[in-house]
Amino acid sequence: MRRLPLFLLLAALLPVLPYFIKVSPYALNMLMQVSTYAVVVLGMTVVLGYTGQISLAQATFFGLGAYAVGLGTTDWGMSFWLSLALGVAAATLAGFILGLTTLRLKGHYLAMITISFQQIFDLVLTNWIGFTHGPDGIAGINRPSLFGLSLADDRAYLLLCMAVLYAAIYFVWQLPQTELGRAMRAVRENELAAEVTGIDSLKIKVIAFTMSATLAGLGGALYAAGFAYISPDNFNFARSIEFLTMVLLGGAQSAFGSALGTSLLILLPEWLRFLKEVYMAVYGLAVILIMVFLPTGIWGLFVAWRAKYRKIGKIDTTNIEPLSIQIPVDKAAPILVLDNLHKHFGGVRAVDGISLEVSRGMIHALIGPNGSGKTTILNVLNGIYSATEGSIVCDDVNITQMKPHERAALGIGRTFQNIRLFPSLSVVENVMVGAQRANTPREPGRAALRTRALSALQFVGMAEEAEVIVQNLPYGHQRLVEIARALAGYPKFLLLDEPAAGLNQTEKKSLATLLKKLKTHGITIFLIEHDMSLIQEVSDRITVLNFGKKIAEGEPAYVLRHPEVMAAYLGETTHGAA
Amino acid sequence: MALLELREVQSAYGKVQALKGVSLEVQAGEVVTLLGANGAGKSTTLRTISALVSPTHGDVLFDGKSIAHTKPEDIVKLGIAHVPEGRRIFPGLTVTENIMIGTCARGRLSRAQMNAEVEDMFEIFPDLKRLSTALGWSLSGGQQQMLAVARGLMSKPKLLLLDEPSLGLAPIIVQQLFATIRTIRARGTTVLLVEQNAHMALSVADRGYVMVTGSITVQGTPEQLLNNEEVRAAYLGGHA
Repeated sequence: MRRLPLFLLLAALLPVLPYFIKVSPYALNMLMQVSTYAVVVLGMTVVLGYTGQISLAQATFFGLGAYAVGLGTTDWGMSFWLSLALGVAAATLAGFILGLTTLRLKGHYLAMITISFQQIFDLVLTNWIGFTHGPDGIAGINRPSLFGLSLADDRAYLLLCMAVLYAAIYFVWQLPQTELGRAMRAVRENELAAEVTGIDSLKIKVIAFTMSATLAGLGGALYAAGFAYISPDNFNFARSIEFLTMVLLGGAQSAFGSALGTSLLILLPEWLRFLKEVYMAVYGLAVILIMVFLPTGIWGLFVAWRAKYRKIGKIDTTNIEPLSIQIPVDKAAPILVLDNLHKHFGGVRAVDGISLEVSRGMIHALIGPNGSGKTTILNVLNGIYSATEGSIVCDDVNITQMKPHERAALGIGRTFQNIRLFPSLSVVENVMVGAQRANTPREPGRAALRTRALSALQFVGMAEEAEVIVQNLPYGHQRLVEIARALAGYPKFLLLDEPAAGLNQTEKKSLATLLKKLKTHGITIFLIEHDMSLIQEVSDRITVLNFGKKIAEGEPAYVLRHPEVMAAYLGETTHGAA
Repeated sequence: MALLELREVQSAYGKVQALKGVSLEVQAGEVVTLLGANGAGKSTTLRTISALVSPTHGDVLFDGKSIAHTKPEDIVKLGIAHVPEGRRIFPGLTVTENIMIGTCARGRLSRAQMNAEVEDMFEIFPDLKRLSTALGWSLSGGQQQMLAVARGLMSKPKLLLLDEPSLGLAPIIVQQLFATIRTIRARGTTVLLVEQNAHMALSVADRGYVMVTGSITVQGTPEQLLNNEEVRAAYLGGHA
């Protein structure tokens, strides 16, 4: 941060420089191309780098912006600024519609659809000659004036492009630290966990896609007036691939990376021109080498280097507020009622007609042999799977048809058997994602979120590790962070899938203390666990499953001596300490 | 001569020093267990032995030869099998195929022998037999854990590294698993076992080591460790 003024000075100097020293028109053109393209590539940072969704139609949105300015200022006699607004709006709308209809798909399916969309756009540009001028393109696009100052001069127009670029960089740079940006990164890291934590992942992906299209439209509008001439070749599939290469080359997860990647990919061929016939081959080879040896892009190299020398922030754990969470246990009705719940996978009846009630403010354990359907029940409760038959009522609301994030918004928290954190986010960021769910009594603002997250971490005893990247924690500690993530979201009903797995006996004892403490806060806990001493110590009631059916239910003393339970699950008499 | 010997081994993840000079020995035919809190470096010790992490200092000797700078795939060929925590199975292959993959490092086997050995595994884990044609991803967490252990056993290693094999298994299966560890030891396989369930681990082990933040602090026979006050307080849940 101390070097910020220096960077600002350099950044301000760059576009002003041509006024003081002589720069060839050709170089000015290059700079204009870099600045407009970079705005488009920043859109890729949002959609690919932050949200992890592949889009191969960025040139389409780029083209929509450019053609709006091209046609608007020539054929339709509109002002530049109005056409620019029109272009940005058109790109935004197209991005929103394409996103909304396709983002349910993942990976290569999404890639295929965006390619097809790109091809359609290309065909329309080329063949609808009456409207778009076809392959001839549009010439004579005029540059605007601003507050009475003409921007017709290359240097003046470059100034405008650079100003827009800096604004875009700033916007994209600060985005990851906002609630929206954190939600995007959570979706990228683990979409399922994001949903269960309360993030509407489809909404977040559509927002990211739309933002990306907006930036592309803006870049396109500036590009059209910058070069005065546009034709369909500028907006085809190859251009989309070029944008993709730029963002990956520079480093997809950073705003500065995109700007760097764009500059490099435009300037590199120029620097290599002296190689004459082989220059394109050398250029291709250079791109391949960078991709192979720097999978996180050039900026990623810098980030890794900085991480190596950066001190991990120390957290003053003495000043953390105690976690405020108190759920009133004021109703006698059970918090959860399952009625004849079924979940079938093809012919396999993983859950085969389960009815059970979980009382408010209790710790209710679910045990049974491996593969008896315990985790499937939690997944149906969360909405990760939809029930084949039967109903789920949580706190008097029928949630059977709800989406996972809607259930999270009712206060259902969850941890996973095979830990689903957001691996490359820091510990505290992981918990902040949990804290930002809808319908909580928290105060607005980033500081409040962080405070809440630290309190939750302190509650599970992990506050000292707050700034560590979560994937570097040992297995057992990751489990605690997952519990903290759930707690930060004010859960009234907490589903825990094998929380003691990977903890040693002493750590299990502190987990038992933690669970009992949560109970005193009024949180109802529904728990799957194989550790019988823990189950015996904490649970008020136990349900035993085998082959998707309930075989026993009741208080621990009764259930753990039930002959069928002993035969199917416990084996020889339980070890006191095992 | 010990089958496996670590001499003052240090390892690090980036700047974080995970092992700070670990020395231990495993004699041929022994079951040795490694106890310690989360983050003590137990998994890192196993990962260093199987060359997934390279030591920054010290040496790892197997059969008297240094293997500190051998590639992971060559480590397997030397006869060291590592069953990592976290159920790394092949989701798109069937249970039987997953088990058979364990024999890869042993060269070609006849189909009859392969089938016989797969049957052996089904005897140890009867649940897997019922699921023999199911795809890996469709298994429950505990079943995947059984599969990962079975695959490790199929390589018929001289030294088997087990990282928390009982994780997520029902009590009855845990009992079977530890009975299996006794069986494979009786067949002559040496085992280095990392386990949070210290009572169970010490019940099958000949010796144990206790790790604290990257160093070994206590070692001894199961009786010695069970009677060591510090060990009991830290890892066995106090007064058992």
